[in-house]
Amino acid sequence: MVQFIFDTLFRAADLALIAVALSAVYSLIRFPNVALVQYAVVGAFVGMALQQQGVPIVPAVLLASLLVGGIAQVFNAVIFQRLLRLDPAIALIGSLALSMVLSAGFLLGFGPAAQRFSVQVAPATRVFGVRVTEMQVLTGGLTVAILIAFALLLFRTPLGREMRAVSTNPVLAAATGVNTARVTGLVVFLSGVIAALGGAMLALRGSVSIDMGTNMLLPVFAAAILGGLGNAFGAVFGAIVIAAAETLITNLNFGPIVGQDHVFLPASYAPAASFALLVAVLLFRPRGIFVSEVTRV
Amino acid sequence: MIEAQDLRAGYGDGADILNGISLTAGRKELVTILGPNGCGKSTLLKTIAGYLKPRSGGVKMHGKDVSTVPIHEKVRHHRVGYVPQTDNVFRSLTVAENLRLGARGLDRATTARRYDALMEQYPVLASKQGRKASALSGGERQILSLARALIAEPEILLLDEPSAGLSPLMLHEVFDAIAGIRDSQGMCIVMVEQNAFEALGVADRAYVLSLGQVAIHAPARDLLADPAMRALYLGGHVA
Repeated sequence: MVQFIFDTLFRAADLALIAVALSAVYSLIRFPNVALVQYAVVGAFVGMALQQQGVPIVPAVLLASLLVGGIAQVFNAVIFQRLLRLDPAIALIGSLALSMVLSAGFLLGFGPAAQRFSVQVAPATRVFGVRVTEMQVLTGGLTVAILIAFALLLFRTPLGREMRAVSTNPVLAAATGVNTARVTGLVVFLSGVIAALGGAMLALRGSVSIDMGTNMLLPVFAAAILGGLGNAFGAVFGAIVIAAAETLITNLNFGPIVGQDHVFLPASYAPAASFALLVAVLLFRPRGIFVSEVTRV
Repeated sequence: MIEAQDLRAGYGDGADILNGISLTAGRKELVTILGPNGCGKSTLLKTIAGYLKPRSGGVKMHGKDVSTVPIHEKVRHHRVGYVPQTDNVFRSLTVAENLRLGARGLDRATTARRYDALMEQYPVLASKQGRKASALSGGERQILSLARALIAEPEILLLDEPSAGLSPLMLHEVFDAIAGIRDSQGMCIVMVEQNAFEALGVADRAYVLSLGQVAIHAPARDLLADPAMRALYLGGHVA
């Protein structure tokens, strides 16, 4: 059981930051930007490239994240704002196309092999009988810290209030004196930064390869949709649910069902679990679990 | 305070909705804009507010040309408050957060003073400060949207159909609140209304629009007293 909880939490940490970034930007721009998962990969690769140039790892990751935030803003201004004027569906296709272009760029720039940050690897220790590495604990803690910082920004600062106001009703926000274009630009920047940090955390726990973005796309989307697309912290819950489903399906003994002692599904079945769950939830809560606004007329 | 001169405006590439409208509104004056559906009332208010750029003509506030100044800058720099017709509260924010959003740009002490004053002025909000705006009734939302516009102490208040969707009881309360704001704070208020009788009951002057033009401009009490006017525009009977 403890192993299951740890596995679920670490997998949720893999998904949470990128899912939060996806949901946050959706809440303002109203289209799911597929390219966000590739921004995570850019963050990891650029962080590694900076480290290889002699930049210490912490500034390398921070610089890479800020750079990705800037790139996200440029893509938003140059590509997505224009496509959104036509139709959100066209913007979605555009983000898919950008995602593929970025993936090809990674292959060209970094090659097909998986790459790792240069960090000292300490032997795993046992916590409550479960093997965990120092890097898992560190990146898991950092992920939680980033999520808390984002929550404080969103719910405890005037800027966060403006962000929530623009996401709720941009026309009214403008009528209240909020510069909606500035707030939207800032959220796009932050989504890039958070996605890049998510990619860097993933790379620190293991490695990064050019197909990491593609592999992350479906579970990240599932997490964001389960949490109620546009609800940033619903996405964290969605990430935990998806992680739990993926962990469960690969750890459950299906032997008794098929009349054998032990039958376990291989890890490649994990996405099937998350999507079965996604379909089941959407049948009953089409707008996700956390969309429950009370309305009175 | 507000001078709109020969305004022409419309949406996208469509035809002009406003066909040369001129309007003035001064300090401590409540001006109402009336007329049938589709005559351009809300478009006029949106053009004055800055949601729509006039195709020709201009808008001055405090003597300055603000024809192309967007709404968020008018609110921040020209002391304008705007209350839209529908969706006029941030549903996912609490009552307190809605109000504090309106106070952006004010220092902490002023915000606290204005916040407390509004709570005293509108007790219906005071008991629901921590509740989400989505849980308020239609009338309470209207009061909240007024209070949010007022917290920044605007000199000009633009109201788009404040009675929309209100029960008769709440309607009186909202109109009394609007008249009270004019009387106590000396504000310049421009109010678009469908509910002509109620609006004329509190307004000083009225503009009646027809097909994007000013059909009648008269003191509110004269319009109320004129039977022909009542029959033509307000749904009354000709004596």
